[in-house]
Amino acid sequence: MSEQEPGWQRLDPRMMLVNPITDFAKFVPTVIPLLIAGTVAGAQGWQFAALALPAVWGLLRYLTTTYRVSADRVELRRGLLNRRVLTVPLDRVRTVDLTASLVRRLLGLSTVKIGTGTASTDDDQQLDLDSLPTERARELRRVLLEGRETPVAPGAGTEPAGPSAGPPAVVRFRPAWLLYAPFTAGGLAIAGAVVGTASQFVEQVHIDTSAAGLPGHGTWVAVVAVGLVGFLLVVLLLSVVAYAAAYWGLTLTHSPGSPWHLRRGLLTTQETSIDEERMAGVVVGEPLLLRCVRGARLSAIVTGLRSGSVLVPPAPAEESRRAATAVLGDRGAVDGPLRPHGPRARTRRYTRALWPAGLLTVAALVAARVTDLGWLAWPVPLVLVGAALLAGDRARALGHARVGRLLVARSGSLARRRSVLDTGHLIGWTLQDSWWQRRAGLVTAVATTAGGGQKVTVPDVPSGDAVALAYATTPELVAQFLADPR
Amino acid sequence: MTTDLPREYALRDPAERVSPRARWMWLTGSLPWWLVLVAGAVVGVTLTDVPWWPVVPLALLAAAYVVVMPLWRYRVHRWEVTRTAVYTQTGWWVRERRIAPMSRIQTVDWSQGVWSRVYGLATVTVTTASAAGALTIVGLEKDRAQALAEQLTQQAQATPGDAT
Repeated sequence: MSEQEPGWQRLDPRMMLVNPITDFAKFVPTVIPLLIAGTVAGAQGWQFAALALPAVWGLLRYLTTTYRVSADRVELRRGLLNRRVLTVPLDRVRTVDLTASLVRRLLGLSTVKIGTGTASTDDDQQLDLDSLPTERARELRRVLLEGRETPVAPGAGTEPAGPSAGPPAVVRFRPAWLLYAPFTAGGLAIAGAVVGTASQFVEQVHIDTSAAGLPGHGTWVAVVAVGLVGFLLVVLLLSVVAYAAAYWGLTLTHSPGSPWHLRRGLLTTQETSIDEERMAGVVVGEPLLLRCVRGARLSAIVTGLRSGSVLVPPAPAEESRRAATAVLGDRGAVDGPLRPHGPRARTRRYTRALWPAGLLTVAALVAARVTDLGWLAWPVPLVLVGAALLAGDRARALGHARVGRLLVARSGSLARRRSVLDTGHLIGWTLQDSWWQRRAGLVTAVATTAGGGQKVTVPDVPSGDAVALAYATTPELVAQFLADPR
Repeated sequence: MTTDLPREYALRDPAERVSPRARWMWLTGSLPWWLVLVAGAVVGVTLTDVPWWPVVPLALLAAAYVVVMPLWRYRVHRWEVTRTAVYTQTGWWVRERRIAPMSRIQTVDWSQGVWSRVYGLATVTVTTASAAGALTIVGLEKDRAQALAEQLTQQAQATPGDAT
């Protein structure tokens, strides 16, 4: 072991307690055969030394992992035989996450994940410090995110220890939000699973009741009903538990000039910090199910991060709107009026929804006629009505606006979203139109960006409006390609 | 709001066209797949007692695609590089216009596929920091593509970039 260079720091020695526990599963394939082989070969208790493997591994990891933060970079050095130094320039640090699993929390430790927005998914390319004492981790986060300009930011030296200290919370978790858990995408999947299981149950009932010597129809229906209700309850409970585990105690705090802080989690706590300059915009998600109970969710478009970062979980829509307003500094972009896309866009929503539904209808009617599956024709009107309702809802959703520096676009029904993007983070424009769209004078405009879903889509805008929008948001870019005014 | 802007705003086509040889490249590129499909259908019809007539519209469709697609695509494919931006227009049935500022260009890529080598053509791809925003110019003459890639690299370097 070489002597420690100045500035290189070790992780917390208590990680040697954590890692053998969490890594134990990794060692099972090695330890168990060693134990068995040793016993068979007649080793006199020597084989139990194999149990120490995880601990030795943890010790080696502790001894060989060091990190260093200098004026312009973070370096992580690790490996016993294959030495490897990962270097990240400080100005490439996009986010700093602090995660504390239950075991680490009990020991007062946190894992620091330094997000650089790298496309690499290789574990070795990730800058994770596992683990540091939570206080040191927070101090490190402050240095990484704020230390560049202001070595001692006023009031930032001590992190909010409780709800009383620090900047005021923009969003604060309320236990009543748990009621929204079943209305999330997870809840929808669960509902689907329930329906699927129910139909299987029904099929089995048909088979069983046709056999002789079994209890009558009534008994079976009762059994199935009780089973279903029980299953539904368990599933609801699970969705609530999952929601609580992820979002319990969520607080979003921010004071001007410093990063956004998000803290959440029941057992495993997670603290995310997003650099103010990287906050490119937000997406207010209002999926159909959540909209039915006046709920919404909010995620951030963070430049350099490939996926959206949760800001507000499914909760009363006003919470998301308030947080979005705080992020954007403009309420108008959050629930102000949008410019609708007009009658041709509406027609297109209906044709696109009704064509497949119509084909399905014809197919079902034909099938009902030529086979003896007459019941196939029954759900047909439902499919058509459902498609029409969906198309209407999708048409109502369409809209866009430019509010100051912000581009706003809304679309979708089952997964309705209102995206707001700061035009300073707008990288370029894509205007896409199929032959059908050109005939209707519509175009799908896409504003590209380097965060979140990588783009904000404005579907089926009248083409004049689309070019006007692109011109208004990025005049110096678009002006040179405008056609002469007609 | 955009309401105060006149409605007749429209984009013009990019100034430059790609090589006329690109039409032949697209034709020879799509022909084998259709030949395999039609040949498969013919074999299928002769071996089984499925009616033979569906082969006729299939063959007509194949012929129409192989002739129409390259011509249409050649009419659509255009590109332009200015001091501050790159502008491309691609596609045929679905047309796509992309504009990217020079300051956001991250990589410039020159490549040749099998068919483009046969016709002495090449493709230039420009990527930005957004995964949704790559611009591709297909069917340039090989030397011209090389010169364009070189020019774009130098221009992108000379334009002050953003941190993203």
